[in-house]
Amino acid sequence: MHFLAPLAFAFAAAIPVVIVFYLLKRKRVVKLVSSTLLWQKFLAETQASAPFQKLRKNWLLILQIILLTLAVLALTRPYFSTTAKPAQRRVVILDASASMQATDESPSRFEKARAEALKWVDSLKDTDEMVVVLAGATTEVKQSATSEKAALRRALQACTCSDGPTRLVPALKMAESLVRDLDPRTGPEIHLFSDGAVPELNEFENKALPLVYHRVGKGANNLGITALDVRANPEDARQRAVYTSVANFSPDDRQTDLELLFDDRLLETRPLTIPSGQTSPQVFKASQSRDGVFTVRLTSQDDLAVDNQAAIVSLMPKPVKVLMVSRGNRLLEKALRAVANVELAIATDLTDAAAGFDFVVLDDVTPMVWPKGNVLAIHVVNTNWIEGVKRVEAPPIVDWKSAHPLLRYTGFDNVQVVESLTARTPTWAVSLVETPQAPLILAGELGRQRIIWIGFDVLQSNWPLRVSFPIFIANAVEWLDPANAKSGQLLVKAGDPFRLALLEPQTGAEVTLPGGASKSLKLDPTANELVFGDTYKAGVYRLRLGTNDTVFCVNLLDAAESNIKPRDELQLGKYTKVSATTTKRANMELWRTITALGLLVLLGEWWYYHRRTV
Amino acid sequence: MPEALLTPELLRRLEQFQLLAARRAKSSAKGERRSKARGQSVEFADYRNYVHGDDFRYLDWNLYGRLERLFLKLYEEERELPVRIFLDASESMTFGEPRKFDFARQVAAAIGYVALSGFDRVSVIPFPDVANDANAEPGTHIAERAARGALRSVRGKRSAIQFFENLSALTAGGSANLNEALRRGALEARQAGVAVVLSDFLDPAGYESGLSALVGRGFQVDLVQILAPDELSPGTFGDLRLVDSETGAMQEVTFGRFRLKAYRQTVQNFMQRLREFCQARGINFFTASSNTDLQVLLLKQLRQAEVWG
Repeated sequence: MHFLAPLAFAFAAAIPVVIVFYLLKRKRVVKLVSSTLLWQKFLAETQASAPFQKLRKNWLLILQIILLTLAVLALTRPYFSTTAKPAQRRVVILDASASMQATDESPSRFEKARAEALKWVDSLKDTDEMVVVLAGATTEVKQSATSEKAALRRALQACTCSDGPTRLVPALKMAESLVRDLDPRTGPEIHLFSDGAVPELNEFENKALPLVYHRVGKGANNLGITALDVRANPEDARQRAVYTSVANFSPDDRQTDLELLFDDRLLETRPLTIPSGQTSPQVFKASQSRDGVFTVRLTSQDDLAVDNQAAIVSLMPKPVKVLMVSRGNRLLEKALRAVANVELAIATDLTDAAAGFDFVVLDDVTPMVWPKGNVLAIHVVNTNWIEGVKRVEAPPIVDWKSAHPLLRYTGFDNVQVVESLTARTPTWAVSLVETPQAPLILAGELGRQRIIWIGFDVLQSNWPLRVSFPIFIANAVEWLDPANAKSGQLLVKAGDPFRLALLEPQTGAEVTLPGGASKSLKLDPTANELVFGDTYKAGVYRLRLGTNDTVFCVNLLDAAESNIKPRDELQLGKYTKVSATTTKRANMELWRTITALGLLVLLGEWWYYHRRTV
Repeated sequence: MPEALLTPELLRRLEQFQLLAARRAKSSAKGERRSKARGQSVEFADYRNYVHGDDFRYLDWNLYGRLERLFLKLYEEERELPVRIFLDASESMTFGEPRKFDFARQVAAAIGYVALSGFDRVSVIPFPDVANDANAEPGTHIAERAARGALRSVRGKRSAIQFFENLSALTAGGSANLNEALRRGALEARQAGVAVVLSDFLDPAGYESGLSALVGRGFQVDLVQILAPDELSPGTFGDLRLVDSETGAMQEVTFGRFRLKAYRQTVQNFMQRLREFCQARGINFFTASSNTDLQVLLLKQLRQAEVWG
């Protein structure tokens, strides 16, 4: 037998201390009695003379010394050396998505999963290793491979649940990489503790993943807000329209009240009855006098609270200032003026960066200074943007991306172009309208500048005569308006980073989280963008940057996550399935029981001792 | 008298009793007890042949008429029954609430009163002697000695008040030797009679030889063991150093509620030994806690055991 910690033998010094305690004389209360005749049987074991006394045979002392010896022996960690078996590695993936907050398990699915994972830690053999991976909106290795149970327990205890959707693919990829190169005879395992509300896992179809799926959760009682948007009311430009969808994932029909609030002021309450499995789209109309936050809220109680409320920032509509640089194009001008809320200025040349305008239309004019803002460029060439520019004559239009927001409700069926410039599609842009050789219209974001590039002079085509032209211009105004882009940035999905362009150098910012806590950020003065990643909790965030306040909202808005019905199987692609395991942890260690038994013996000893004096 | 030993009500009821003695009285003094002696009474005992000098008044003339022989009628002589009460007045009797000694005095008073009512002679023998205390100033114990002297021999119901007063004047203290006291009492007695021993019997030297001496002398022995409630079921727990009130011996004891049962068993065993000893020798044995109702002991237990009736 060998000892891992032979220094612990020093604790044996406690044994003489115990003996000294027995040598010490007890302090006794003097009592006068009529006769000691009846007390002969109750003579104390330790009859004292003066401060110390003779040591007598005493069962209590012997028991205590045995206990102490055993404790010291345990502390020295004795072991027998034998040939070691190869270590088994287990990767524990803890699903930390919003659906794991459901309270159908007590106190929540996440806590249940954590408790289950902790039991697996307990069952770990001394030589086995375990890795703890937290799979929320981001994948985080909480504990790298170790067999130290305390560290694993600590790592599991430190895991917290987020309000974001599940991103299981990166977690499984990481887990797969951790077990891929191990000897398969050691039986590496990936233990996933989840409710199964996960997106497609097609890429693991043929990987033969040693996945063990521990299902958590039992109910599916949930109503959730799955979509939210705010726009100008198309019927009345002075009003705002709030679009939202409420989905019922419960097995039965549900009734609820849907409330609309503006900056915490209740505007409207709408009773809803939603059949099981159905989604109810709702539109609210509300007037707005200042920038603020619209909140929609479900009043009914269900198992998942995080999707019962969603908020969105709504900014006051401002006129779009457009500078048209043209040698004269009445059709284009008319189309621009037809768009609501546009303040149009016309110039024949551009000599500065056009800082006062929301975007610039360059109509067949190569400017002296290229604008810094968004640009609709028609028949001009900027070699910073595109390369390989060629001229083509009468290019046939063969395809266009009607799914792109710029080409909504447009078509290029009858459009003919006399001649056009074409270029290779650059990496920053997508081709919207294509000829067999090259694209005619490109759109994309270069840096933070949105650019639409049209290769042909519109007057050299019949496009302005088609109905699609003014619709395209209206779409372009909406797409290029920086205010729209900004309000899009103010709605973030939980777990996604919030980004904000910095117009001037900043050294610090402060973010107030939904709970009221605030967080300071340090910024690099040379950075031109602020990225805030701690968006794991849904709610309204306030960012103070210098003297400016920016409000942004973090929401779940994820139907897959709101559907909290626990899945019995995980589908890996078309043909592979992983069923929820029913196996329980194995090789439960006995030392706890034995220690408890020892404690019981100790209690018995205590009782035996005290029954004489109490 | 600070407080009456017995209530008038109890005295009235005790007057109805008479001590029952299984044996014939052996006293030389006249009394109301049947004895083996022949003498003058109304109770016919036997005939005997006339011898010269006998009193003619006792001849049975009817028998002479039939048989023409002279016979003398003999009658039983009625004698008194000496009652000796051995009262333990050692230090250990001063314990208990109420004190064991007070209880013992009440029992002694009751037995004494019944005996006096029946024209029997009562002797109360407290032990140990007062003289044990050598350091005491002379004259301290004069009243005590006087009372003890007066209690040596009391007779007649008229002496009852004086008897009670003397009993009340007794004090307890010192270390007793039960065996010696009983042995001496047995030797000193001119005639055997009824002996009542009132004690806690907690004497390290034992009680056997003393009781045997009394029985051997021909006494009818009644024995009342008086223990304090605290001795039957102690209320002090923990690590104790016990000091014996009589011997001053110290003993260290660790005692807890869990051991109470074992202690009670010890007390029961002690009493059981005493009881068996008594049964083997025809001694009436009673045990009483000092907080026992006196009436129950006197009017019920002693009567049922036919100490009196």
